This record gives sequence, C-alpha cells and structure tokens, in this order.
Amino acid sequence: MAWRALWRVGPVLVPRCPRLSPPALRVPAARRLATSSLVLSARKFTDKHEWISVENGIGTVGISNFAQEALGDVVYCSLPEIGTKLSKHEEFGALESVKAASELYSPLSGEVTEINAALADNPGLVNKSCYQDGWLIKMTVENPAELDELMNEDAYEKYIKSIED
Amino acid sequence: MVLQSSLKNCLQLSCILRTPKAGFRSTTSGGLIIQSVSNDVYQNLAVEDWIHDHMNLENRQVLFLWRNSPAVVIGRHQNPWQECNLRLLRQKNIKLARRRSGGGTVYHDLGNINLTFFTTRKKYERMENLKVVVKALKALRPQLDVHVTDRYDILLGRQYKISGTAAKLGRTTAYHHCTLLCNADKFVLSSVLKSPYKGLKSNATPSVPASVKNLFEEDPSLTCEMLLDAIAEEYATQHHIDHRITLINPADEAVLPGINNKTKELQTWEWVYGKTPKFSVSTCFNMVYKDSVLDVKVDMDVKHGRIEVCNIDLPEQWLPPALCSELVKSLTGSKFCPNETTTLATTLLRVCPQDDELHSRWNLLCENMIMLM
Repeated sequence: MAWRALWRVGPVLVPRCPRLSPPALRVPAARRLATSSLVLSARKFTDKHEWISVENGIGTVGISNFAQEALGDVVYCSLPEIGTKLSKHEEFGALESVKAASELYSPLSGEVTEINAALADNPGLVNKSCYQDGWLIKMTVENPAELDELMNEDAYEKYIKSIED
Repeated sequence: MVLQSSLKNCLQLSCILRTPKAGFRSTTSGGLIIQSVSNDVYQNLAVEDWIHDHMNLENRQVLFLWRNSPAVVIGRHQNPWQECNLRLLRQKNIKLARRRSGGGTVYHDLGNINLTFFTTRKKYERMENLKVVVKALKALRPQLDVHVTDRYDILLGRQYKISGTAAKLGRTTAYHHCTLLCNADKFVLSSVLKSPYKGLKSNATPSVPASVKNLFEEDPSLTCEMLLDAIAEEYATQHHIDHRITLINPADEAVLPGINNKTKELQTWEWVYGKTPKFSVSTCFNMVYKDSVLDVKVDMDVKHGRIEVCNIDLPEQWLPPALCSELVKSLTGSKFCPNETTTLATTLLRVCPQDDELHSRWNLLCENMIMLM
C-alpha cells in the first residue's frame, strides 16, 4: 500500500528505505525527513483501529478494514467541524452502524482541515472503501513524533491476529 | 428470590466503583446487578455514561436496571423534529433526552423497564443478552410466545414489539441496552412518537416504527417488579454470581464522582437539540386572515439546532418588507426553538408603530413560524 501512495505523489521526493528486510518484496516504510515536516509516510495504525497517512504535513484519517468489518454497515458518520483542535486519543466523532454507535479517537494531535463530505449521503463508503473513498477527516500534524508511536502495517496485522485469538 | 440490597451493599459498590483496578475482591466479582432508585431519565443515562467511562469491566460484567417517568429518548444521531411531537411533549411535560447509543426513538414511562448490559468491547454480544431476557420471561410465564429477531427486537406473539435495542462501543467498554414494555401507556406512546412536522429533509438516522404491545396485556398478573426480579435472577444464574441487586442513587457524588456534571450535560439544549444532524425545512402553509387565504413558503437550513439560512416567501406588501427582512435576519443564527422565536418576534414588534392591523398580521405570521418548531 505504501508504494501505491508514493506513486500518487510523484517523483518529488523518493524516500530512503530504512533497512532491507527479507523477503525483498516486503513493503518498506517511507523514511522520515528529519529537517522538515513530514512529506509522505506510509499508513500507520492505532490500537483502536484508526489509520492515518500523512502527505505534506496533512494526515488523512480513516478506520481499518478490520474495524469496518467489525462495525457492520455504517448508517451515519458524525464528524467534527473544520478547525477543531484535537489531541492524540481525543474523541473526534462517532460512527453509527447497525451494530452500535462507536466512538472515533484521534491518532495524533492536530487541527481538522477537511472532512469527507461524501459520507453525509453515502456513509457506506466507510465499509466499501475504508482506505480510499471512505476516509473520515484530514488534519494537521502538530507533533510528528507521535507518528512513531503508531503501528506500521505489519505490526498492525500482528496486533489484529493477537486480539482475534 | 432476589433480595433488594441494603446500604451496606451501596458502600461496597462505592469501593468497587472507585478502585476498580485495586484487585478488590468482593462477593460480586464476575458480575454485578445494580438498580437505580431514580426515575429521572437524565440521571439514569448519566449512570450509564459513568459506568462506561469509569468502571473496569475486564473481569466483571454489569447489569443496570432502571425505569423512567415519562420521557422520549432519541438515538445519538436522530432528529427530534422528525421523530416525535415536540409540541405535545411540552404540553404534557414529557422530557426529551438524547442518549449516546445509536438506534431509534422510544417512549419511556414507569410501565417500561430498561436494561443495560455492560461488558468489555470484546465480550459485547447483544444476542446473548436478549436470550437472557427471553429465558427469564419464559421461566416466569412459560406460555409467553416471545422471541428475538435478527434486528434485536423482542416480539410477542410474532407480531408485536415489546423490546428494542441500542448499543454503544467505547474505547475499552461497550454497553447494550434495551427496553421492555410491561405496562406502558400505549396511547401516549403512539401520540408522542408521531411527528407533525412537514417538509423536513435530513440524513439523520430514522426510526423503524413498529406495532407494540405490553406484556401486561398478555398476562395481567405481570408487573415491572416481577420482570426485573426474573431478569436479574436469570442474569445472576448465567454469570454465576450473587442474585443480590445493589441499589444505586444517581445523584450521589460520593459513589459516582462527577455524575452530576454528566447529568447536567445530558440536559443541555446543545446536547439534546444541538446535536441534531444538519437538516432543512421546506414547507408551505396557509394563513387565513380576514377574508383572504395567504400562501407562505418557508425554507430553512438548521445546523447544530440553529437556523443557518432562512427564507420566508410572503405575498408582497402584506407586511412591511423592512420588518420581514429584520425577522429573517434575527432568525438566522438563532435556535430553531419556539421560545427563542417568540422572544425574537416580540422584541421586533416593540420597535413597530402601534398599529393593530400590523400587530395582528405579525402575530399570525410568527405563530405559524413557531408551529414549525
């Protein structure tokens, strides 16, 4: 998934791969540039099953496939106003599905810059396309170090397996 | 036989609730059954919030039993104008509450019992909970034809809804609550749950109307107390715990620190009405004035319970245009609320000349505008 994200951005900056990890086809996480704000990073995950993907200092937030499956059909998305300031772990909205009303927690600290207007009339996008069209909010990244506390895709996959048992 | 608990158990609860992670060993580890001594819907909803936020449910599940004096309770993302007759609620002094779980609108009175099943997120299982209820009912009255549908309703005689379900999933805990109609006032129920408001367009979650019945109608010997006892007993059996019910006072800050703030928040206009998803009102009405009938068209956008955009189409010159535009300007940004609109209208009228004709026309228009709210 990280490679797809890179191609969308174009050749502006090529991230250095951290260390090579066998097998060679494993998707490496993009390397963070130390001196400037985050340009692009691979998707990171919280233990509450939200994901965030940062591009040019703006993070796009959504819920994982595991979460949307567990939630069932989403019938309503309650999202914050643009300009809302969020702290990491803070509740920023809720998704109502046939199963329950389920709170959403911010993966990072920052300010909401955009919300996905398509979800007002089509909340099912969260189920159909949780990583693309079903994104929830976009936000600034106030403290890039917080990203390091989140799980990368591999770690998240392992995490899911552990809780499923 | 379930015993109503004494003050002693209230103090035990206080310890459990305050030091959930202190490895407290109590006779009630594994499960706890509590019952509210209050019939106030806001206080009882606040107890749910409190338990959800503060209790560690890793090794313990909780069943909370409660009843409310007359109230309409809407789901988290619902539109009260769409769901009920707010005018009638105000007239009958029936409270309106918005709960934090999803689902549809219900009417509560003392003939309805509410059950909340608290668990960790992992152990969240609505069907299991409802099976406990059905099992309890059948143990009490084996002839009762009750079963759980795939929508998590409980039906009586395959036809009538006696229970509806809603739920909330939080960070680590979850709760599933449901109603159970024992002996509620069906006449009031059906009249308050019918919305008279026309022209509303919203993406708020809608209720699914159903024909309801009271268990009392099936068996007049049944009372709420009997149902509560039976359900508590079955829950206790399933969880291998004491059958004791611990009484809880939702106003007691010592047992539930911070509860009164939660209660207050649930009563605020901002929560009850302000949390309504954005909606629009597009409607026409006729006003009969002396010998003529006037057509009025109103379009409004309401966001966070406040009028964001307002348009009133009146026959030209029926009222001074300047006054009309003042009305529209004042309404914009104000609450979509009859009291607020009345105040606004009265204030504007004060700056008008003492013209009886003008005043009558103005009052007629404003009364009709207020009817929309």
